[in-house]
Amino acid sequence: MKPITKAAILMAILVVVFIAGWEFYLRSSGVTISYDEGKELWTAQRARVYTSPAMATVFIGSSRIKFDLDIDTWQKLTGRKAIQLAMEGNSPVPILEDLAADPRFAGKLVIDVTEPVFFSADDAPVRHEQKENISYYRNRTPAQRASFLLDCALESQLVFLDKEGLSLNAQLDELPIPNRPNVFMPPIFPLDFARVTFDRQDKMSPRFLADSSLQRRVQNIWVFMKKAGMAYMSQHPVDPAPAIMQRVIAAVGKIKSRGGEIVFVRPPASGPMEIGEERGFPRTKYWEPLLAATQCKGIHFADDPATAQLICPEWSHLSPSDAKVYTRALIRLLPESFAH
Amino acid sequence: MVFNSYIFILFFGMVLLLHNLPFSWKVKKINLLLASYIFYAAWNPPFILLLWLSTVVDYFVGRALYTQTNVHKKRFLLVISLLGNLGMLCFFKYGAFLLDNFVHLVNALGVAYHPAKPNIILPAGISFYTFTTLCYTIDMYRKESKPVQSLLDFSLFVTFFPHLVAGPIVRPPQLVPQFQSPRRATKQQLLEGLFLLSLGLFMKVTLADSMLAASANMVFGASGPLPSLDAWMGTLAFAGQIFLDFAGYSTCAIGVALCLGFVLPLNFRWPYGAIGFSDFWRRWHITLSSWLRDYLYIPLGGNRKGQTRTYVNLMLTMLLGGLWHGANWTFVAWGGLHGLYLWVEKLLTDRKKITPMLVVPTATGDGIPENTPVMAKLARSAKPFLGGLPYVLLTFLLVNITWVFFRSATFSGAGHMLSSMFGFVQDGRPLLTTLAMIKITVILLALIILHWRLRDIQLTDIIYRLPWWALGSLWACMLILLILSQESTSTFIYFQF
Repeated sequence: MKPITKAAILMAILVVVFIAGWEFYLRSSGVTISYDEGKELWTAQRARVYTSPAMATVFIGSSRIKFDLDIDTWQKLTGRKAIQLAMEGNSPVPILEDLAADPRFAGKLVIDVTEPVFFSADDAPVRHEQKENISYYRNRTPAQRASFLLDCALESQLVFLDKEGLSLNAQLDELPIPNRPNVFMPPIFPLDFARVTFDRQDKMSPRFLADSSLQRRVQNIWVFMKKAGMAYMSQHPVDPAPAIMQRVIAAVGKIKSRGGEIVFVRPPASGPMEIGEERGFPRTKYWEPLLAATQCKGIHFADDPATAQLICPEWSHLSPSDAKVYTRALIRLLPESFAH
Repeated sequence: MVFNSYIFILFFGMVLLLHNLPFSWKVKKINLLLASYIFYAAWNPPFILLLWLSTVVDYFVGRALYTQTNVHKKRFLLVISLLGNLGMLCFFKYGAFLLDNFVHLVNALGVAYHPAKPNIILPAGISFYTFTTLCYTIDMYRKESKPVQSLLDFSLFVTFFPHLVAGPIVRPPQLVPQFQSPRRATKQQLLEGLFLLSLGLFMKVTLADSMLAASANMVFGASGPLPSLDAWMGTLAFAGQIFLDFAGYSTCAIGVALCLGFVLPLNFRWPYGAIGFSDFWRRWHITLSSWLRDYLYIPLGGNRKGQTRTYVNLMLTMLLGGLWHGANWTFVAWGGLHGLYLWVEKLLTDRKKITPMLVVPTATGDGIPENTPVMAKLARSAKPFLGGLPYVLLTFLLVNITWVFFRSATFSGAGHMLSSMFGFVQDGRPLLTTLAMIKITVILLALIILHWRLRDIQLTDIIYRLPWWALGSLWACMLILLILSQESTSTFIYFQF
């Protein structure tokens, strides 16, 4: 046998043994399937927004609606599809404008308003991936579409295929290497905080719900991000909200003029997060003027007893079981045309 | 379609299967041609029409050029082909750039002209396949090789999917004869090809995309001043990224072709182990530099028309080589800086009268004009200090300066970066994490040491020098890291050129 043949056999054995061992180890550690929350998965949902409004409702926003809307519950109770276009840490305003600029979209839209993100400026320290996703949706190639299908087939079977939590870079990022002063290190969320389903729902794992140290780690990230936001605001005293409000009014007007329907929702927050958000973004200054200016219905979690008493384990998002409670309440509170 | 995608693995598996079924050679070539069209159309189907147009026009014009005896008609045919090929390239690649410069010029002259911005999509690989077809036309005009006998072989020569979108840029004599008789990879070729494909993907996906790209993007995308350390680290990250991305693509292309039984020319030979700039250009994007040598530098007169013309020709070649990379003056500056380095090197060579500038093909027939670089001479002198490493490092350092222009979108961006690198700005905000800097340092050190130590060795020779267990373990490590990287479907940097 030639040396290269022997080398190829050895390579095949080592690769299969390593990958199978890694997969087995992760599964035995309780890690579950999670899809890569990238532009490809988002685009697959974006392409579905033309489904008849009688058959589907589109959701945009940031991470809260991704955790808080239980898609199975929604689909079972309403008989309609839930098209989840919310993006973690991203303002929904550019997505709203994209839908408004698309003459083919005239559906039902639910917009999650998490004020610190919703009313953030274009250069604020939040994520800004909306344009990249929209551009990918508009320009994706036939090869990218086909690759996505294969990718999903693999991701649905293999736990280790989780770019955000288990890729080489994600593993290296966990190393405790100190940085120079003033270097911004993006926060690293625990693997168990968000497991992503194919229809883009985020779910906390049972281990996350049982482990208060993991919850504290996420709470610390919120504190860190709040400090980053405060530092930014101290250097940028001009409030971006009036300009954002004008953009939202214009976009909402376009969708409504085509027969589309829009409802704003304010999902729950708890503890210091709830207090801090009310202090930084009082309802009377942001939420209520938004509803008045857009002439849209709004559903604030604090206004309904069923949603007001929900507790977010890490102050900002609901557990999977509470997401079901919230979704049932949302269906009850939404206009009849949305959910019945 | 890109090599680093799941769909390519499926596609390649099917092509490999079809190529090994007992069909006639003609049917196998038709399969390869159809597969190549699918490979290209999977990116943007309408642009396949451009590829067909270019193929058909050049096939028939090429034949006519070869047989035509009337000088005027021959020149007319050449002009038609050049206009067709370069016209397409100019429209799609340089249309917006030319218009933009024209508007700036007339505005400077006081004419208020503000046309709408054209929205032109650049067809993938147009620069590569245009150069492939151009060299055929010019060869036919010069009668340097015989016309391709069948449209099928010519189409396959232009379109063969491993080299189609980002090279290596092939010449007719390198590939066309391989289509004339049945070819199937031996088991050894197949395994060698698979090893090269794994290596290329490892270079692109694991090292370039996963380890270096984010740091390079962050540093070159920074809006404010940077500390010197971050600016240098970002530039080094890009130096690593551009090599690993492009050489990774070429290695994949060579490996894929080899799995099918075809041999493509080498495109990179340890360029960061170069001693001097002539040496660098014999090692970096070899098929482009040899194309520029044979179809631009030598026709301009090369070094046959005196010292001054040699310098002018050298600079023109490098400036146009820079412009080939992209429709931006920063690419021209990148080429110009390389031209300047070559000038200085030649000046030193001429003053020391080491050897006159000669156009001598290197051992493999590649490389730009051979002028025996002064630093290479120095490095080979009686006792090369540290095996020439100081000269390798000096060359690498100077190459890094040129990458700043290559990577920056504007001259002001390049200026800011150079100012930061050389400490002319204060109060820069540190950007890169310690982990990012460790990644850059480890990869770049490994690259330089490998390129320096292996500079005279062929990559494929290394496969056979290693014991089988070491090769198998190395191969497995690359594949495991590739799988764990989980970076897929990002395009190669050179696709945009």
